[in-house]
Amino acid sequence: MIKDIQLKKSHRNLDDAANAALFIAIFTGIWQIIFMLGIWPIISLPSPVMVAETFAKIIWNGSLPQSIGITLGRLLGAFAISITLGTLIGFTMIKFKGFGKTLNSFSAGLLSFPSIAWVPFSILFIGFNEFGIMFVVIMSSIFSIMISTYSSIRNIPTIYLDAARNMGAKGFSLFRHVTIPAATPSLIIGLRQAWSFAWHAIIGAEILMSIVGLGHILSVGREFLDMSQVIASMVTIFVIGLLVDRFLLYKMEDRIRRKWGLDHHR
Amino acid sequence: MTKLQAKNIVKHFDHNGNSVTALDGINLNVEEGDFVCIVGPSGCGKSTFLNIVAGLETPDSGEILLNGKPISTPGPDRTMVFQEGALFPWLKVIDNIEFGLKITGIPQDERREISQRYLDMMQLTKFADSYTYQLSTGMKQRVAIARALAMDPEILLMDEPFAALDSQTRDLLLVELQLIWERTKKTIIFVTHNISESVILGNKVEIFKNRPSKIKKEIIIDYRRPRLAEDENLQKYYHQILDELKSEVIAQTKDELQ
Repeated sequence: MIKDIQLKKSHRNLDDAANAALFIAIFTGIWQIIFMLGIWPIISLPSPVMVAETFAKIIWNGSLPQSIGITLGRLLGAFAISITLGTLIGFTMIKFKGFGKTLNSFSAGLLSFPSIAWVPFSILFIGFNEFGIMFVVIMSSIFSIMISTYSSIRNIPTIYLDAARNMGAKGFSLFRHVTIPAATPSLIIGLRQAWSFAWHAIIGAEILMSIVGLGHILSVGREFLDMSQVIASMVTIFVIGLLVDRFLLYKMEDRIRRKWGLDHHR
Repeated sequence: MTKLQAKNIVKHFDHNGNSVTALDGINLNVEEGDFVCIVGPSGCGKSTFLNIVAGLETPDSGEILLNGKPISTPGPDRTMVFQEGALFPWLKVIDNIEFGLKITGIPQDERREISQRYLDMMQLTKFADSYTYQLSTGMKQRVAIARALAMDPEILLMDEPFAALDSQTRDLLLVELQLIWERTKKTIIFVTHNISESVILGNKVEIFKNRPSKIKKEIIIDYRRPRLAEDENLQKYYHQILDELKSEVIAQTKDELQ
């Protein structure tokens, strides 16, 4: 029976892959047709093959792998800081109710604040350097972590806490054995959201503030009127965003949802 | 020996700015090994009373004595079985049962031994490694009972634990609970709005008056066990309690319609 399920699962994965491949094929086909119609000059719309050539070129000369490495390095560093600080501030918001309430009531503004709007501030406050870029990423994602930590913990059903206190849990043991696990499914959703904010922010910041990185090669493409490089960079940004979300964050969420039986609605 | 004593427990609630008296001087003595059922119309404050005994809520006045000592905080000496089970979905069945033991610092080997015993008692051994969503409602309540018993409490508190069960499962658990009670000699306080449940389970049934709540009457049921739901000899107790409760339910409906 387990084998059956595994077989079914691999079938489903194959189907998904086939669908995705079909979608990409159709998309590229339409692109090729529009290219051949010649509505736009080549400089504004290269053909898929030209973009593929540029891809090969920037992979071959090392500029793409290097840019990806630099961007991800910055992003991970900044995101780690954001998670650590954001979670700590979130806990503080829980601990000090007035502070939490006040900060939470600003949440709509904090969450929807455009990341690009931090760039001028960051340039003047920190400087035109690595830390300036990381600052933009941190400021763009930290509020999402803070608010999600706060609301995830506050939305834990009282019954779990009552049951745990009833069995003698209090203070740190209550926090560690009940609060954190009970909040986890919701915390991961917050993490996914924060990740997407951080990803927006790093590309934006790199376009405006950097001399290396994915955002930078995108912006170089524009300066040299090299649309294939612009498109190649955009595809790279899309693929990385997709891979991280699908194969890391979504997997994590899915695993927890399955363990909790959250998808078993009867 | 008196296990638990409630002395003049008073509790008010704030309801839309008005103070509502939920409990108006509850006095109750529970002897060691008693199976006390508290029955009353819904919203009469019987669950509030149980929460106060558990230490999850504090009374405005009055005190609860356990073995003669006043208590005010929750503690593993008074474990509760909640209506919805309140099992932890992130833990396997066995880890749910061991939760309180782990919190109180009991070493792993001993925990395993205790949990095995209660898994066995509640016929859950096959499900030790399941997660709670994989269980039926009846199974979940078995786990909840096992989890509460594993703490070896001085007194077991049960807050309408069978309310969400289908009647066959409930009848089965009603018998099992009596057997467990006889086997473990636990003192139990069982809150329910279901009169037959109280008649089948209790050797004392406390009838709660509608808000402001007081104990209206205590009925002693001295009858052989295990009692079955279909036992006709229990009818007279059933009707006795029903008569007492009828006027309460009518009073409550009037209250609500006003």
